[in-house]
Amino acid sequence: MNGVRVGNRVIGAQSPVTIGWENIPRVEGGPVKQFVFTYFQPAVLFAMIAFWYYAPNSIAKASTAIGIGIAFRVLLLALEWVNPRFESWQLTWKECVTDLFYVGLGYTILNMVDNYIGSDVIIESAITTFDWGKLAWFTGLPLLVQAFLILFIFDFGQYWMHRGMHNWYPLWLTHSVHHYITQLNINKGAVGNPVELFLIGIGIGGFFDFLPRAALLAGAIGMSIGVYQHINVRFNTPRWWRYLFNTTEHHSLHHSQDFEATRSNYASNFIFIDRMFGTCVDGEAELLGMEGGRRMSIREQMTYPFTEGWKTMKERFGKADGAGELFGETQPVRAE
Amino acid sequence: MSERSQVLDATGPAMSGQDQSGDGGPNMRMIDWIWTVRGSLALPAGQTADEAFDRLEPFFQTHGTRFDRADDTLTFTKKDQLAQDRMSIYDHGILQVERGEAGGVLRYRMVSRALLFCFLAPLLFVAFGQMIVGIGVLEGPPTAAEKKLQEEKKKAEEKKVRTLHPIDQFLGAPAPEKPKKDEKSKAKKDEDKKNNKQSPTAAYVFAVLFAILYGVGRVLEDRLIKIRFRRNLMG
Repeated sequence: MNGVRVGNRVIGAQSPVTIGWENIPRVEGGPVKQFVFTYFQPAVLFAMIAFWYYAPNSIAKASTAIGIGIAFRVLLLALEWVNPRFESWQLTWKECVTDLFYVGLGYTILNMVDNYIGSDVIIESAITTFDWGKLAWFTGLPLLVQAFLILFIFDFGQYWMHRGMHNWYPLWLTHSVHHYITQLNINKGAVGNPVELFLIGIGIGGFFDFLPRAALLAGAIGMSIGVYQHINVRFNTPRWWRYLFNTTEHHSLHHSQDFEATRSNYASNFIFIDRMFGTCVDGEAELLGMEGGRRMSIREQMTYPFTEGWKTMKERFGKADGAGELFGETQPVRAE
Repeated sequence: MSERSQVLDATGPAMSGQDQSGDGGPNMRMIDWIWTVRGSLALPAGQTADEAFDRLEPFFQTHGTRFDRADDTLTFTKKDQLAQDRMSIYDHGILQVERGEAGGVLRYRMVSRALLFCFLAPLLFVAFGQMIVGIGVLEGPPTAAEKKLQEEKKKAEEKKVRTLHPIDQFLGAPAPEKPKKDEKSKAKKDEDKKNNKQSPTAAYVFAVLFAILYGVGRVLEDRLIKIRFRRNLMG
C-alpha cells in the first residue's frame, strides 16, 4: 500500500482509506432517498435551532432536551438499518448491549463522580472560595452567539485534550481503549475506559454565565452536529457542513487502522478547529480499530490502561537507560 | 485445551440423553439456559457428520476462533470475536452429529458470556441505583452553613437582571422568566437538591432496558444461529 500524500503526511500506507470528498461514494437509490439523505442533517439542525429559539419557557427545559435526545437517537438507529454506510458496521445485539452498557455508565456512575469531582464542581468551588463572580457579560450577547461560544469553548478545550491523548503516553493509555472499536454506530461515542470518559468531559464552561435558553440551544446544536461522528449512515453531506463540522467520514478516518490517519480530525463538533491547526484530513475509512481490528472485551476495556501502564513501567524501570523516556512521546502499540 | 476437555466431558452425557440433569451438577441445567444456547437440527438425508461439519466450518474459520473436529464432534473456542462474526456472542461450545433411524441429527450446546453479562447487567444497575441512594443517605441533609450558602446563591440568582439582546427581542424569542411556583416536581427537585440527593432513576431505567435486551437477545440469538446453521447445512 502506497498511501496518499496529504501535506507532509502519507495517509493510508498501513490500511486502506479514501482521501478526498470527490472519492467518497454517494447515497444510492431513488430521488426521495437521495433528497432525504442529502438534506436530513441541515434540516434537523435548523429545526432544532428554531424550536429551542422560540419554544415557550414552559417547554424550553432540560427534561424536554433529554426526551428529544433519546427520540432522535432512536430515529438515527432506524436510519442505520435503512441506509448503512458499510454493511460491515451493522449493529448486532452484542454491539448494542456493549454500547448501551457504556451509555448507562455515563448516566449513572460517571454522572455521580462528575457531581463530586467534575470540572464544573471544581470551578464552582473555586468561584465560591475566592469570591469570584462568573463572567456574566456573555448573557448580554445574542442567544445564538452565546450558544456558539458555549460550544466553541468546550470544543476548543476538547480538541487539545484529545490531541494530548494522542501525543502523551499516560493520556493515550486511557484513550486507547476507545480506539479498539471496530465499527461506528450511534452510541459508540460512549465506549471507552471510564477514566478517559471523565477526562474528556472536562471543560471550563463553568467560569461563564449564560442564559438557560442559550445553554439549551448549545446542547441542541451540539447534538445535531456531534451525533454524526459515530454513525453508520451514508449521507450526501453538504459541502459547507463538512467544511465546518465533524462528520462520520472525518471520524472514521480518525478511527482507521492506519496510524497516520488516526492523528487527524480531533475536534468533537467543529472540524474547522482541525483546519485551523492543520490536523484535518477529509476522507473516510471502513477498516477501523487497533492491532488489525482486534475487538476488545468489556473486561479488558476496563483494565487495559492500568495493565498496559504497569507493563510499560516494568519494562522501562527494568532498564536503567530507558527510564527517562516513560513520559515522553512513546506508544505501547502502533496506531497511536 | 483443558477448558475444551471440560466442555466435552460435561456435555457428552447430556447430549446422548444418559444424564438429563446437565453439566457439572444436577441443578446446573436449571440455570445454565441463561448463558447456554442448545438446539438440534435434522441433517438432510444422507449427509454424513464430515459433510455437515464441512458446511459449518466457515463459522469457525474466523479471527480468534480455534476448533477441533473428531469423528462426529466439533468443539470450538472463541476469543476477542469480531463484531461481525456470525457467532460473536459465543465463547465456546460443542456440536455433535448423532445417528438415528430417521437420519442424522446435529445437536449443539454453546456458551455465551455476553448473554450472562446482559442477564446480570440489570442487577448491576440496580446496585448503582442503590449506591446513589445510599450515598445520599450517608451524606445526610446539608449543614446550617451549607443551607445559608445555598440561600445566598439563590438570592443572588434572583437579583440578576436577565434580558434578551435587542436582536433576539426583534426576532421574537421568549424573554427569560422565573419558573412558576406551582410546579410540584420543581419543588421536589429543589428539596432533593437541598438534601444533596441525586436521582437513581436513570440506573433503574437502564436495569429495565437490560432486562428487555436480555429477553430479546436470548430469543433472537437462539433463532438466528439455528437459521444460519440450517442455511449452511441445506445450502
